[in-house]
Amino acid sequence: MSEVTRRNFLNNLAVGAAAAATVAPVTYFAGPRPAHAAIKVKGVVPDKPFKTGHITFLTGPANLLGEPGRKGHLLAAEEINAEGGFLGKRKIETIMADEAAGTDANVKELRRMKLSEKIDLFTGVISSGNTPALGPVAEELGLLTMFNDGCTDFLFDKAVPNPKYVFRVTNIQSADGVTSAVGAAKAWPNAKRVASIQPDYSYGRNVHEHFMLAYQKLVPGATSVSEAWPKLGTTDFTPHITKLISDTPDVLICGVWGGDYVAFYKQALRYGLFDKMKVATTLAFGGQPHAIGKDHPEGVLAGVHANYFFLHPAKGRWPTNDGFVERYYKRWSEYPSFESDGAYASLYLLKAAIEKANLLVGGWPEDEVIIAMLEGMGMDTPAGYLYIRPDNHQGYKDAVIGMTKNNPAYPFPVWDPNSIITIPIRDITAPPNWPKPGTTHNESTAAANWLKTTWLT
Amino acid sequence: MANAALATTGPRTGPSTGRLATVAIIILLVLVALPRIVDPYQTVLVTYGLAMAIAALGFNLLLGYTGLLSFGHSAYFGAGAYTVAFITRDLAVQSMELCILGGLIGACVVAALFGFVCVRHTRIFFGILTLALSQVLWSLAFKFFWVTGGTDGIRVAYAKLTLLGGMINFAGPGSYQRFVFAYYYYVLAVFAIAAVVMWVIVHSPFGKALQAIRDNEVRAGFVGIPVRRYRWIAFIISGTFTGIAGVLWVPLNGLTTPDILYWPFSGELVFMTVLGGFRNFTGPIVGAVLFNYLKTYAVASSEYWQLLLGVVLVALVLVLPSGVVGTFARLGRRFARRQ
Repeated sequence: MSEVTRRNFLNNLAVGAAAAATVAPVTYFAGPRPAHAAIKVKGVVPDKPFKTGHITFLTGPANLLGEPGRKGHLLAAEEINAEGGFLGKRKIETIMADEAAGTDANVKELRRMKLSEKIDLFTGVISSGNTPALGPVAEELGLLTMFNDGCTDFLFDKAVPNPKYVFRVTNIQSADGVTSAVGAAKAWPNAKRVASIQPDYSYGRNVHEHFMLAYQKLVPGATSVSEAWPKLGTTDFTPHITKLISDTPDVLICGVWGGDYVAFYKQALRYGLFDKMKVATTLAFGGQPHAIGKDHPEGVLAGVHANYFFLHPAKGRWPTNDGFVERYYKRWSEYPSFESDGAYASLYLLKAAIEKANLLVGGWPEDEVIIAMLEGMGMDTPAGYLYIRPDNHQGYKDAVIGMTKNNPAYPFPVWDPNSIITIPIRDITAPPNWPKPGTTHNESTAAANWLKTTWLT
Repeated sequence: MANAALATTGPRTGPSTGRLATVAIIILLVLVALPRIVDPYQTVLVTYGLAMAIAALGFNLLLGYTGLLSFGHSAYFGAGAYTVAFITRDLAVQSMELCILGGLIGACVVAALFGFVCVRHTRIFFGILTLALSQVLWSLAFKFFWVTGGTDGIRVAYAKLTLLGGMINFAGPGSYQRFVFAYYYYVLAVFAIAAVVMWVIVHSPFGKALQAIRDNEVRAGFVGIPVRRYRWIAFIISGTFTGIAGVLWVPLNGLTTPDILYWPFSGELVFMTVLGGFRNFTGPIVGAVLFNYLKTYAVASSEYWQLLLGVVLVALVLVLPSGVVGTFARLGRRFARRQ
């Protein structure tokens, strides 16, 4: 790392979509199987329904992320059920509950789902405030769990350091702040005065910390000149906006998300905030694409939680995505978001693991065998190549970000195709078995320690 | 006249103590047998309900017996819960009895401090003060994340706790089922003790004095009752009971979050008490258990769960102002008269 200059370090980070497309084809991909490719099922499989519990935001401002997650899950379930269910026998039945009921009510509901409804799988969960509470409960209950999001590093760094039953599909949170930092440093290499507006809870702090860590390495001399911490669910951003403007930053990093972000950008427009500074976000394009209006300024770095936007990989380049976007649009009359991709991929990952496990042991495989198959599994998903790391059960895929631009073909702003960068995930996240917080270091995350010790100094 | 009217709306002594003890023992026996009849999840739910019932009992000492509506009881629930979280994390305490002792002291201290300020006022001013002070604790828990874990909260794993001075522990496989079973009886025992203690308090001369203060503060002062001091003591007892509920709740939930210090949680305590009926001793107990079921199943069955809870609250206030227990008691009396 020491022989790398800052410029080619940045260039190496952003290698573009071409790298993702060179991955060799694999047997399993997220999407319905072609008719001729039906797999053979070994042994006798009962036709008992496969019960799934899904907790996500059905109400409130976070519903902008919860709703596409729900739709992605249902689409995958319907497609799999159309083939007869898992192993052609076990149809997926989903029960839903509202994540907006609060962490403690979610804990209770998860227990109810397992103990009373006898679910076979638990999925969903958007908020980083909830996965660290639900993860340990799922482990206690011995319940196979595929979190779509709630991607805080804290879950596998501290709350469940040695997961057995719990997996998570979307990218780890520290990658989010770092991705925005790489995007911002590439776009505005001279922006040194940094302001930050973050929702006041673990996610906001994680974005702020990892963005600043990475950005200060990439743009020497960058300093934080202003911080604003609105509470999650705030609808009035005016005092924060005026404060940010008065501190005259060059660039603003914004981790505000869901309905909060819509309220923020509309109010910021009135104050001309977007004319007074460059704006990088982590989740501007994190909700349903049509949630953002055409009034949203162009040239804003629009984050997708470092995961997926439906126009990337571009049409024709990655058939898994083409098919997914088409089927999703046909089913729901809207375009998918990264939560749709995460929820959709979760079920297909499980499907692939169950099929592999069946070939190995015959009949309906035990959870332990399915888990062994999931660990280290790779798959083509709409977003690209997804890999489930065995050491922490966390899903990894190359991170993406792009700039907003209005395109007449869509009734909402989309990414400017020329601005999109793809960052190999291994370049922005701590490698397997990197020391966790509280072992050889006391940073907030393993990724923070890795960034500090291995990135350019 | 006004005093007489007020007096009739207060908690009633009700049927004779002997009959009441018989009913209480029958209910206790049913509760003892419960985990053998219902599935583990129902056992967990009743455990939650019993823990909350202790909080509601404490809350009702102020509302029903002293005539003070607190909108800040989340503070004492949270004080109990966070004390457990701190001592298990920082002092490596494992014994549940030490947790109860710690939480009791924690909640008692906070209640004494906050109560000292709040009892100087009554009515809406009292309510606003309790609300404001509880929000102070909430923002501390929320903002000092390097101490409290912020919104991530502090994890308290039941598996690390021991009951009855280490006689019962939850190490090894199948521990969750064992925990559900053992912890239910543990909470039931604490609940039974708490209910008896509260019964004694409200029927003691001190309890009668509180009711006198509720019915007519000026007259109570004239007969020589130190009104403010009695209110303060009632406040401390109330807060401590709520704190014990917080202590018992933590291992069930697995972690403490600032949500339990936030004002809607205080609102839930009010809801429970109104649901059961604050004019009866048993009202808050029934209300807490019912509310727990109501919220759990509302969240599980519909995305319009808030609407459902709201409708129930409005219906309660309009149709059943004396709560479930009050209404049943009235119907029972009417039925008995007809007989």
